[in-house]
Amino acid sequence: MPEDSPGILQGTLDLMVLKTLETLGPLHGYGIARRIEQISEDTLQLNQGTIYPSLTRLLQKKWISAEWGASENNRKAKFYSITKAGRKQLTHEARSWERIAGVIGRVLRTGDSG
Amino acid sequence: MSSLWMLFSRIRGWLSSRREEEDFARELESHLELLTQENMRRGMPFEEARRAARVRLGGVTQIRERHREMHTLPLLEIVVQDIRYGLRTLRKSPGFTSVAVLTLALGIGANTAIFTLVHAVLLKPLPVAHPEQLYNLGDDQNCCSLGGSQDSFTLFSYPLYREICDHTPEFSEIAAFRSHIPKLSVRRSSSDAFAEPFRSQFVSGNYFSMFGVGAFAGRTLSPADDEPGAPTSAVVSYRTWQVRFAADPSVIGSRIIIDRQPVTIIGIAAPSFFGERLGGDPAELWVPLASEPRLTPIGSHLNDADDYWLYAIGRLRQGVTPVEAQARLKSEVQQWIAGRPEMSGYTREELEKMVFTLTSASGGIMGLQVDYAEPLRFLTVVSAFVLLIACANIANLLLARATASRGEIAVRVALGASRGRLVQQVVTESLLLALAGGAAGVALAFLGTRVILLLAFRGAEYVPIESSPSIPVLLFAFVVSILTGVIFGMAPAWAGSHAQPAETLRGTGRSTTDRSRVPQKALLVLQAALSLVLLVGAGLATESLRHLENQKFGFQTTGRLVVRVDSDLGGYAPERLPGLYQELQERLAGIPGVQSASLSMYSPMEGSNWGDPVSIAGHPAPAGKVLSSSLNSVSAHYFETIGTRLLSGRVIDDRDTPASRRVAVISEAFARKYFPHEEALGQRFGIGDASHAGDYEIVGIVEDSKYNEPREPAYVRAFLPLLQARENNSNIFHDIQLLVAGSAQNLEPVIRRALASVDSNLTVIRVTRFDEQVAENFNTDRLVARLTTLYGLLALLLACVGLYGVAAYTVTRRTSEIGIRIALGAPSGSILAMMLRMAMFPVVVGLLVGLPLALAGGHAIASELYGVKTYDAFVLGAAVVVLVASSIVAALIPARRAARVDPIAALRYE
Repeated sequence: MPEDSPGILQGTLDLMVLKTLETLGPLHGYGIARRIEQISEDTLQLNQGTIYPSLTRLLQKKWISAEWGASENNRKAKFYSITKAGRKQLTHEARSWERIAGVIGRVLRTGDSG
Repeated sequence: MSSLWMLFSRIRGWLSSRREEEDFARELESHLELLTQENMRRGMPFEEARRAARVRLGGVTQIRERHREMHTLPLLEIVVQDIRYGLRTLRKSPGFTSVAVLTLALGIGANTAIFTLVHAVLLKPLPVAHPEQLYNLGDDQNCCSLGGSQDSFTLFSYPLYREICDHTPEFSEIAAFRSHIPKLSVRRSSSDAFAEPFRSQFVSGNYFSMFGVGAFAGRTLSPADDEPGAPTSAVVSYRTWQVRFAADPSVIGSRIIIDRQPVTIIGIAAPSFFGERLGGDPAELWVPLASEPRLTPIGSHLNDADDYWLYAIGRLRQGVTPVEAQARLKSEVQQWIAGRPEMSGYTREELEKMVFTLTSASGGIMGLQVDYAEPLRFLTVVSAFVLLIACANIANLLLARATASRGEIAVRVALGASRGRLVQQVVTESLLLALAGGAAGVALAFLGTRVILLLAFRGAEYVPIESSPSIPVLLFAFVVSILTGVIFGMAPAWAGSHAQPAETLRGTGRSTTDRSRVPQKALLVLQAALSLVLLVGAGLATESLRHLENQKFGFQTTGRLVVRVDSDLGGYAPERLPGLYQELQERLAGIPGVQSASLSMYSPMEGSNWGDPVSIAGHPAPAGKVLSSSLNSVSAHYFETIGTRLLSGRVIDDRDTPASRRVAVISEAFARKYFPHEEALGQRFGIGDASHAGDYEIVGIVEDSKYNEPREPAYVRAFLPLLQARENNSNIFHDIQLLVAGSAQNLEPVIRRALASVDSNLTVIRVTRFDEQVAENFNTDRLVARLTTLYGLLALLLACVGLYGVAAYTVTRRTSEIGIRIALGAPSGSILAMMLRMAMFPVVVGLLVGLPLALAGGHAIASELYGVKTYDAFVLGAAVVVLVASSIVAALIPARRAARVDPIAALRYE
């Protein structure tokens, strides 16, 4: 069931993890962290360990699932993939953000013209 | 919804926490590897790559900690942790733990024992269907057979009951039963020579269906059994079937003989049912009301419309309020009485002012409950005080321990423990102690309850009250334990929250200021005050009992036996009786050891009384008033045998036969009331209206004697010769009194044989020592006195142990100070005095606080006391002396230890 997540930063990180998994398919923790760093053009310089609480939350809400698999160098790693419910949540979140962005934009433009 | 999923996954995580953690550790390791490889691809050597990877990942410990937190129920984890820690701490100091648990066991056990009784007597409903729908028609405080007005209407006559049954639709059923359960003599078969007494209750046909009680086997009584022509049926109680019929199934359908009447046993009642009232010796048989004239022909009440002898209980219909039903019943009763000839002995005024109340019968007939309500309330307060003292003890112990370990606490606070967490740990430990104490207390209470029941129901063969802990009792013990734990846990919790880590670490041990001094002293004051109150209460109760038991009753109890007899002499021609009685008295007097024997209708203090209106020749009653007197019919030698003194004239003796002139002996009170200014001897009076005023001539005056209420002055009473009395079947005796020399060793079989040899229709119901019979009247007073004394002494013991503990602890803490004093030349006597003074100071303050409390408490129970004032100097003085003496003894041991402190050793120790 789609719902609003508490806390901006917490929520955005969760959102970015979901988006990453939707775009890139099943990925391990390191890969997800790398991707987020790349996308944000290294402006988001969090410790990579901070994605793990996000992953736990998303796992508990059943928006992603996890499985042990083989990584690139043939070592064992835990791979996460997005679930159907996760995809639905993502769509819902994306729309919310666009709506908010639109409103903020209008507010700022009105302020300008005034 | 997803929060529910989160909760589930947390619970799952908590259950498989170790595997989860290992799993995550591996995941982090693999992440680290990948990061390291990335760094190595950039050209870093392995070591540096690994270090840089670590930095980029972040603190592994924190990540794992965070992960773990998200996968468990932190609250549950903390609680489990605290419990484990608490148990460990308690195990480490077994001495402290055992003292604490024992103290708590005594305190909680004392309360649980009383609660078992409170629950069984006051709270538990009858074991019947929907007891909350049952109502007493009346307040059941009158007993047992009345003609004439009742100020609070509670007894019904049989025709009145039938009238009410037919015309009161507010009730779905109304059942009636005899107000006093008689003992009938029953023969198991017609061939049995000996009859046995069975407590047999007369009930209406709908009794069992109204209560909704079924049969364990066979069937219960039905309205068809309660018809005049129906064969007499009886239902046996389950316990009676087990105990007296040896659980023989062939009992159903078998015949027993009651008063020469065949009675068929048709069923056994449900196992838990004991009748309509809770009390000692419940009914053993139930027989229909219609059989009453057949089974108790002498003095039968059934067909007399003006004889009020039945209690009634009804089941109120749904939707009807008790107020409505009460109003309807009252007007029904009033109308019925108004229609009776002479209005059944009521005056118009009395009828209008008549009180009729519907009282809840969920507990049945509330006789026992009314008697025990006050004493049980009192005992609950007493046991609560004991528990408070126990709590104060434990609190002091915990405070002392907290102060002693404040160094350790300071270190923990310095290392980052939050105060809240510390308080939580302490409270958990307190709760563990309290629950352990509660469990031990329940065991103690079980033992205690059996003793209490024996005390409370002395003289009863069986009481349908269980002493084993039931669910409500266990629940009570649990709740009390938790409350107790919280209460005494507050003390160390408070101490913990005030811990000053920096200061403590700087100078542990040397400081003589101690923030816990004030609360410790305050607790000691509390203990002393409460102990004083309890000791005074115990003293007052014991003195009251002593006065009750040793008062001037107007008769002597030593060496006397009372034999209650079922004299089945109905149908005997009155001419036979003199010969029978004489033979009986001679036979009894002839028993070796018997100095004197007499017969009477009833004896003092067995719960019986016969009262009737009287008329006095030459002294007509003032208009609208009726003169009355208690009456008894007695044989020759009666007054000598029971030890009632003759004041003037003569006693009833062998001269008084049916043929001689009719005489009577009166009590002092009778003379004072009806002949205040003239000589009573020679006056005449009679039972009933003025036409009887000349029936008996007064030939003697005896001292006042109490036959019923030990706390009230003796009733106005007249004694008629057994052979001359005619009213109320009073020429039939029911009691034999025997004055026996030396120790009366088991005369019962001899007495039975003597009676049987005179006439086989005489059955011994019970042989009791007269002093025992009187003592049974004081069961509740004795219960209160004994328990209050026990609890008072217990409280004193706990308070003294507490005082000893605090004093010993103070000595230990101030060892260095004492060492200095001794080294500087203080004599050991002054050290002793100083320690004693310190210990006794809170006791003295407690006395000052406790005295007004004790006086107030005594004032509250003043109505229950007999012969002793609430400010009785002896009791107060004794209580103070006992408290002070015990406290001195308790404080003396550590004080002496202080006086013998070796200054060098004391100062060397850091």
